Amino acid sequence: MAVEFVKQDYTGKIREVTIGAGDKAVKVGGANSYPFYLFEGALPNPPRIAWEVWDAETDQWPEACKEPFADVLTDPPAWAKKLVEKHGAEMIALKLVSIDPNGKNADAKSAVETVKKVLAAVSVPVLVFGVNSVEKDAEVLRQVAEACEGRNLVLGPVQEQNHKALGAGAIGFKHTVLASTPIDVNLAKQLNTLLGNLGVKEDKLLMDPTTGGLGYGIEYTYSVMERDRMAALVQQDEKMQQPLVCNLAPEVWKTKEAKLSAQDDPKMGEAKTRGITLEAMTATLLLLAGADVLVMRHPEAVAKIKTLIKELSA
Amino acid sequence: MLTIAENINVMSKPIGPAMKARDKKPIQELAVHESEQGVDYLDLNIGPARKDGPELMTWLVQTVQEVSKVPCSLDTTNADAIAAGLKVHQGKALINSVTLQPDRMQKVLPLAKEFETDIIGVLWGQEGMPRDENERAVHAVNLMMAANELGVPNERLWVDPIVSPVSVEINQVKACITFMQTLQDLVPGCKSTVGLSNISNGAPDELRHWLNKTYAIMLMRYGCYSAIVDAFDEDLLALAKGGKKEVIALVHKVMDGAAVDPKSLNPELLKYYRTAKVLVGETLYSASWLEG
Repeated sequence: MAVEFVKQDYTGKIREVTIGAGDKAVKVGGANSYPFYLFEGALPNPPRIAWEVWDAETDQWPEACKEPFADVLTDPPAWAKKLVEKHGAEMIALKLVSIDPNGKNADAKSAVETVKKVLAAVSVPVLVFGVNSVEKDAEVLRQVAEACEGRNLVLGPVQEQNHKALGAGAIGFKHTVLASTPIDVNLAKQLNTLLGNLGVKEDKLLMDPTTGGLGYGIEYTYSVMERDRMAALVQQDEKMQQPLVCNLAPEVWKTKEAKLSAQDDPKMGEAKTRGITLEAMTATLLLLAGADVLVMRHPEAVAKIKTLIKELSA
Repeated sequence: MLTIAENINVMSKPIGPAMKARDKKPIQELAVHESEQGVDYLDLNIGPARKDGPELMTWLVQTVQEVSKVPCSLDTTNADAIAAGLKVHQGKALINSVTLQPDRMQKVLPLAKEFETDIIGVLWGQEGMPRDENERAVHAVNLMMAANELGVPNERLWVDPIVSPVSVEINQVKACITFMQTLQDLVPGCKSTVGLSNISNGAPDELRHWLNKTYAIMLMRYGCYSAIVDAFDEDLLALAKGGKKEVIALVHKVMDGAAVDPKSLNPELLKYYRTAKVLVGETLYSASWLEG
């Protein structure tokens, strides 16, 4: 007797969101089944990787991360260009670390200059990240939005406390919003609702569920992302049908386990392999939970994940 | 469903300061007001009351009973304070509450026997909050055995499954409903109660009553005997007394997964409908849940 496979009955679909402008623009989302369930649905746009570029404080990176970019670490445009030309990056995640009020506290003007230079150097989509400071991000990213009209940047993290300022800036200058909430499915829905009420269109909205690195509570993120996708795909929750962006690189590489040198703790093994493995494993988990965009750092971790995405999408 | 008014509470202003100052007036005003609303018990929550529990509870019971004939629910973790309150209480009081910690059961359950009162048994285990309906079932049975052994029959036991906020974990919201359906098989003849307002903790203040009322309907369907409630939510009190049949029928339909056309509903019913959808776990909760 033939076995009849049970199939999930999907009633919803993840929306497609286009990031960037021109012929390098990238479409993300669009799945109508759980992640990589190709036996149940279609995955028109496999997950993408956005490569990190920092505008400051890369001296604090672990050696393994500095090494591939040693020549460009203090030169964001050159770095972005190298990522595209040498590493085939399809997206750049520009982190405006310099604006951190607890760090260099650079002003909006210099941040805008940095973004413009990076945009001049590459034509791939750029995600511009603030530093999770409600006021400073609102001030800086608004000006970035205004100065870069036409490039359809992704601006984030947009939080409930600054969603009006940043949402309005994104609407006015036609950028995409990255709505960020602290690992909570209900708060994620609420922020999407508020941004919708403000007038942010569904095809201009991405979600950042917030993640930890492997070993640092990633199981919570995993569960929340699972719930996000269930709400979107089988519960017809229209507010939750936005693509997910996981900003994992800084979380992985700031952990003790990724940073510790082999001399400091020989039983932990060689540092570079360890860090790359941690980044790749974190990314794997997030892919399986439903990530549409992964923000990553190390070329070897990215290579592993690209292979995985290819195999899972085939 | 019986109602226990939650408003006389040490955490609230101006009641907390009035308790501290032994100022009768605000407390008596509130007690009169609550009683006029037609509630069945007045909860007197004095918190842990480590310092002067017995004296405060004695004073509070007498203060309230000077102006109200509605029996009191003596709400504190201080067993001596409960005993002191029971000594002066006229009529049949309610003990609120005992949990499953052995020392608590040893101290508080005998009071229910001694004073022949009913007692709320909160299913808070030695490891804290129960994680699902199964842990609640185990706790309920253990509580029953301990109570029976100490001379408290099932009929005097009001089992409280512990309601937790919908904004925290929908599975816990569902677990209480499932548990309520099996309670009479587990503890035959027992009564039950819930801290109803917990369901809406964390929701915008002005919208909390929608969650409270809808969840009350869901619990009542499975025989929930009583609830600790906001005595000023008149819709809720009407529901508890069996009113608002149309609303109740609608919420039952949502619980049964029956087709309802939201467009056919008036604005009030639509709010119940959307709230019920959230509480059965079909719609994901957010603070804007009433907007659909």
